[in-house]
Amino acid sequence: MNGTRMFQSAPAVLVASVALCLPVLAPDFMLFEFSIAVSYGIAILGLNLLLGFSGQICLAQGALFGIGAYTTAIFNVNFGMDPIVTLPFAAIVTSLIGVLIGLPALRLQGLQLAIVTFGVASAFPQLLLKMDSITGGVTGLAIDQPMAPRWFPGSQELWLYGLSLICAAASVFMLSRLLRGDTGRLLRALRDNPLVAESLGVNLTKGRLAAFAASSALAGLGGGLFCILNGFISPQSFLPMKSIDILIGGIVGGITSMAGAFIGAVFIVFVPGWTTAINPALGGLIYGLCLIAMMMVARQGIAGLPIGRGLQALKHLFNKKGLSRVSGAVPGQLGGE
Amino acid sequence: MVLFFQLLIDGLASGAIYASLALALVLIFRATRIVNFGQGEMATLSAYCAWQLCEWGVPIALSLLIVGAASFLLGVLVFRAVIKPVSKASTETVVVVTLGLFVFFQALCLWLWGADQRAFPAMFPGGGWDILGVRVTASTLGILLVLLCLAATMGAIFRFTRLGLAMRASAYSSEKSLLVGIRVERMLMLGWGFAATTGFIAAALVGPRLFLSPTMMMPILLYALASATLGGWDSPLGALVGGLIVGVAESLGATFLPFIGADLRVVIPIAVTLVILLVRPVGLFGSSTVVKV
Repeated sequence: MNGTRMFQSAPAVLVASVALCLPVLAPDFMLFEFSIAVSYGIAILGLNLLLGFSGQICLAQGALFGIGAYTTAIFNVNFGMDPIVTLPFAAIVTSLIGVLIGLPALRLQGLQLAIVTFGVASAFPQLLLKMDSITGGVTGLAIDQPMAPRWFPGSQELWLYGLSLICAAASVFMLSRLLRGDTGRLLRALRDNPLVAESLGVNLTKGRLAAFAASSALAGLGGGLFCILNGFISPQSFLPMKSIDILIGGIVGGITSMAGAFIGAVFIVFVPGWTTAINPALGGLIYGLCLIAMMMVARQGIAGLPIGRGLQALKHLFNKKGLSRVSGAVPGQLGGE
Repeated sequence: MVLFFQLLIDGLASGAIYASLALALVLIFRATRIVNFGQGEMATLSAYCAWQLCEWGVPIALSLLIVGAASFLLGVLVFRAVIKPVSKASTETVVVVTLGLFVFFQALCLWLWGADQRAFPAMFPGGGWDILGVRVTASTLGILLVLLCLAATMGAIFRFTRLGLAMRASAYSSEKSLLVGIRVERMLMLGWGFAATTGFIAAALVGPRLFLSPTMMMPILLYALASATLGGWDSPLGALVGGLIVGVAESLGATFLPFIGADLRVVIPIAVTLVILLVRPVGLFGSSTVVKV
């Protein structure tokens, strides 16, 4: 699927309009949860780029998210920087650390990256505890939340929600530019057939590393935003399961759909809350089944679900007429959410 | 010096546990080129079942036998229901599916038995011996013995039986094996079954050392992944040696490297993985494969 087309397609329009209408529809505390979902959504966008467009799997997206959050917090607490100004730094620092982690693994098949990043996700909370002189250890770090300026008419929650939307829009814009250009084509070539791509002169390692760097940067930005929204972070927020949650969000929403990233993020923020009331294990069961079922039945995720078989037939028809690509989007598919 | 040998012995004991889970991972990888991230959690489910049988008054030896067989069936079932439909899909897809198994089985244990820790019955007698000041407990010796038996059995099956030959053949080349009349799919199923039983043995060895909890195998899985990478993903012998090395490295590193200490011992398997990937990506005993264009 083409990046530009996807951005213009129906789910994107729908998600964007729902996001803009939310302040009117939802009470302030819900708005806060949606802002958190947006911060996860940005990290999921990164995973989309990596898994959906370059065919690499990273199980440490939650740890990278945490590195972004801690960068924002440390810059604010130690150097007194405005948290909003730290966001680009959060992205850059995370991207550098991501490349350091990915460098040995990316030379090999996709599996090695999965194994190494699984380890990183497991070790990250321990590492935070060990480096307690800068991370605050178990007690975590509290930052000065940016206050809504005096001219702003709405509530503090609305101000933070607006900030999240701006970050999300910037990420989507950057990502669609990236995917539209040469890099996007290169990444898709690497995903679809690395051997042929390489024999045509594409540098495999460089391409993968670039994708990994960009993906980590997005995770870092999302993490920085998460830190600003929460006003407080501790190792408890970045346990290994967080990385798997982010992966679940990506898969459920649709791993090659930008709108899907945010649908998936809403899924991982709200489903645990609803299910724990019934049984604490229910959320996990649903997650596990979703991961397996999505891979077996609907690899395009929710953002491509209702079309399913029907569109495949349609695709077949179009293929005969020489139109090889059908943008996988129909309106009204959020009904299932 | 006494401390060094003591740590060495302790490291070998935990290494044997990593090695047995690594062996399960390698068995599956050899058969189906899949890394099963759900292996540890499947083993946790089996261990819980064994504990439940003991609670109901079944003698421990019998319950271990019953659950060992049941684990085999669980492995076969998972392969038939979940893995076979996606076996032709890309690596990422399969990794996501096995992560789904991981999340699912962990939640299932939590659902059935709750988050409280349970004491798994001891399989080996207490006590032990002092050899030149180094304490060797019966359970350490027992764990190493179990690993040795496991390795010998696996080795014998692969080396001397027709079944083992057929399994090796289908792991080596499924198309050619089909042509000579090997039921490849059945072999893969058996591979998953054996792996599930091996994983259960690992969990049963861990059980008495830690307590049973739905997340108990998560750290072990990390060490097992490192062991398999160190030993080479297509070598069962490598998994054993890798597991023991990782166990010893962890035990020594946590004590003698002050910046690591007990809190950061989880960094050791990652360091081992990164180093072996940089130095010799196929692992100590692995064979490099040539990919045809």
